[in-house]
Amino acid sequence: MGRGYIVEGAVEGYLSKLCEQQAGPVTGLLIGQSANQRDFVVMATRTPQREESTAAAGNSLDKEWFTEHARQVSRMLPGGLSVVGVFIITDTDAKDTLTSLRQLVFAAENLISSERLWSPADDDVTECVTLHVNPKTRKTVCRSFDVRDPKSMAKPADWKYQSDVCSSWITMSCCLNVDMLVPLPDNKTSTESMDKCLKEELRAWAQQIESGVCLIDGKKLPEDTELTSGQKRNVRQTYTTQLLISPEEQRLTDVVQRCGGSVSVRGAIHSRIYLHSYKPKAKLAEKLLKRDVVSTVATRVQMVLEELQASEEESKGSSRDKQQTVSLPRRVFCPVKVSGPVCVCVYQFSDEGLSEVTDRLKEMLDMDAAEQDLDTRQEITAEVIESGAASDATEPAVENVKVQEPQRNNYIGVAMATAAALLATAASMLYLNDV
Amino acid sequence: MVMDSHPSDTVTILRVRGPLEFRCQLDSTDALIIQKVISRTFETLRSKVKSESCVLTICDSPVIIWPNKSGNAPCEDLHQWIQTYEQESKRSSKKKNKKSSAVNVINLHLMMDMTTRGPASAPILSRTAQNSHFLSTTLPMDCVVRTSYSDTTKKACEHLVEALTHQLCEMEKVTLDHMKGTTLLVPEPLHFLLPEPKGLVTVVYPAGVPDSQLETQRRELHQRFELPEDKPYFRRANAYHFPNEPFKDGYLRNPHQVLTHPTLDNGKVYLVQGIYSYHHYMQDRMDDNGWGCAYRSLQTICSWFQQQGYVERSVPTHKDIQQALVDVGDKQSSFVGSRQWIGSIEVQAVLNQLLGVTSKIMFVSQGLELASKGRELANHFLTEGSPIMIGGGVLAHTILGVAWSETTGQIRYLILDPHYTGAEDLQVVTDKGWCGWKGPEFWDQTAYYNLCLPQRPKVI
Repeated sequence: MGRGYIVEGAVEGYLSKLCEQQAGPVTGLLIGQSANQRDFVVMATRTPQREESTAAAGNSLDKEWFTEHARQVSRMLPGGLSVVGVFIITDTDAKDTLTSLRQLVFAAENLISSERLWSPADDDVTECVTLHVNPKTRKTVCRSFDVRDPKSMAKPADWKYQSDVCSSWITMSCCLNVDMLVPLPDNKTSTESMDKCLKEELRAWAQQIESGVCLIDGKKLPEDTELTSGQKRNVRQTYTTQLLISPEEQRLTDVVQRCGGSVSVRGAIHSRIYLHSYKPKAKLAEKLLKRDVVSTVATRVQMVLEELQASEEESKGSSRDKQQTVSLPRRVFCPVKVSGPVCVCVYQFSDEGLSEVTDRLKEMLDMDAAEQDLDTRQEITAEVIESGAASDATEPAVENVKVQEPQRNNYIGVAMATAAALLATAASMLYLNDV
Repeated sequence: MVMDSHPSDTVTILRVRGPLEFRCQLDSTDALIIQKVISRTFETLRSKVKSESCVLTICDSPVIIWPNKSGNAPCEDLHQWIQTYEQESKRSSKKKNKKSSAVNVINLHLMMDMTTRGPASAPILSRTAQNSHFLSTTLPMDCVVRTSYSDTTKKACEHLVEALTHQLCEMEKVTLDHMKGTTLLVPEPLHFLLPEPKGLVTVVYPAGVPDSQLETQRRELHQRFELPEDKPYFRRANAYHFPNEPFKDGYLRNPHQVLTHPTLDNGKVYLVQGIYSYHHYMQDRMDDNGWGCAYRSLQTICSWFQQQGYVERSVPTHKDIQQALVDVGDKQSSFVGSRQWIGSIEVQAVLNQLLGVTSKIMFVSQGLELASKGRELANHFLTEGSPIMIGGGVLAHTILGVAWSETTGQIRYLILDPHYTGAEDLQVVTDKGWCGWKGPEFWDQTAYYNLCLPQRPKVI
């Protein structure tokens, strides 16, 4: 028996719209949730058109362009949502198409998984779906591949539309403090070595998160607890979670080491996951939440480092300040469907406006979102305090114990630090054009 | 030390453990600045421990406590969590443990709640380029707090947070005191059980510094706790072993503690002081059945000297013992590897050679004379407190104590028998009398005996 995909009704409309519009083949991504019992597809998005469309655009697929899009999209998915497959709209022979689809699905998975810092679990679903739509006959062929096995053969899969697939999905969220301090090697404080050191630290941190204790609505639930309380449809179920951590007992590092400086990442993040409502277990929720925590921090650190690298190359590395401070982009959410709970997210840099957020949603996810649809309340861009004395920032400041109610007004009109100004060159297009 | 228990007054010890990450960048090699940075990092950790994000989870139980959040206590009384805890632990361990000690230990794990109130202020990445030193380690926090059943959770939490804060202060002090240039030592907390009413005391030592270099610190501690200045209490080997922590080497410790002491008219019980391990035939993959009893008795004595902190040397093997006797000129070199018996005089020689411990020899020409040695034996256990090896014409045994009545002269001997060949099973050892109280008839009334009474060094 093959896998059965339950697909949001709106996807059908989206695909048929693409069938009507397009002359040449169109590729795209399928986004949803793969669980052990059922697979869900909640949205589809086409690969953006390349500006300087290559001459041979007619038939050959631009694999690199496609996978880069997949990578960017997967960065915009909160916990529980992932790129579960790819689609293609073409009237070429089904057999040839399957070969292309196979290549695309593997290439996308390879690139996306290379960015993951969490370790895969035994119960992860490694099956990905491919969908071929013939624009003339509107015939669809659905197959699945096990992306963990490079030799895997296409298996027939079931593709079934259903309305309001995710209207009763569970939302789980938490707001967590992040506090990292990493030494940089002696005489090597370049962005490149910062990248290496931070990744290493993030990996260790990810492990700490993975072994942390997750509380759902204040309780430590046994792994196999079912989260859904009843079959009430259209009742939004939300849970708040907490994460308790403890550092690794023994870290095999020297107590004192020489260093060329240090880099810190401090602040808070909003983590969120969506869970299908078909008897989800606490274990799955915990796994997804921990992964989202790791991903949202790692992705943003990665984005900032990419920006820094780009601006360093431009300025030929002349801006070697002793002290450099950059705000990580904040997470802005946008509902996939106005009625449903499920959202995608955009990381908004401090120098970007909301119109740039909606532009990116259009470009990456082919979503027509209005600025007022965006949920900007979960995170605020931190103010970069420009303190004159460089040494002040490196010495650990005694943290304020009292949790203060954040005063929103203090954060409006975010101060632009010198480093943040460098980011002004970054437009959303840069992500794809830079490849 | 008389280890009697007070069954009516159950003491509960709350023990919190958990690593805390300690990280800072030292911009300068100037000692004053380094000190300042280190102190500030400790201060940050102290405020973390006192903050709402500090969490204590009770091991093997679903109970989680936020000690600094008010109105969040899972139960009013401490004893409610203890009950929860006991129910949980009963479920996990099928064997109904005989209550061997009146000390109830509840283990807690120190964790940090990462959760904060929204909206989240997105993180800031900050890079400093400056050649300097980076300090990174984890502090192995380990605090104990004594509580009683009637304490409220709130009070217990206050004590725990206080203990954690205090330990961080101690750690800061130790770190700064033992700083040499940019060399830093990780502070290491250890618990010591002092005679009542002082009970458990926690001391922070710099890891890696041998006991021999910490005498000054120990002297201060002895003064502070008004302890005798001729007996170690604060060497690392004296560290308290919690009842729920099994000894890794597998030897039984103090099996006599589960025995009921004999009641003699106007009699008193005089026992070995401190901890020894039970060494007997066939241990350590060594088949010494029929000849090794005195070696085993000697090993028990050595284990006592080691575990009281007098010596660091590990318990000698049969071969070590034989070699020592060759080295002092007592035996020919062919003795090493042989299966020859040794006696009390050899035990005395080996203790002197390997541990630097002197011993008194007590000679009795007939076993029945032992009945009249009550006062001398009682005195030995009072002043020295070490196990006695007894050998001579017949088998070797270890004497761990006497029950003696000064008025009637009645006497019982607490014997640890090295001839046991079975497994390390406390039940068997005590039920079958391998460790047990014996009357004067235990001794061969006509055989001669030599007793080796090891004298403890007068050190701290």
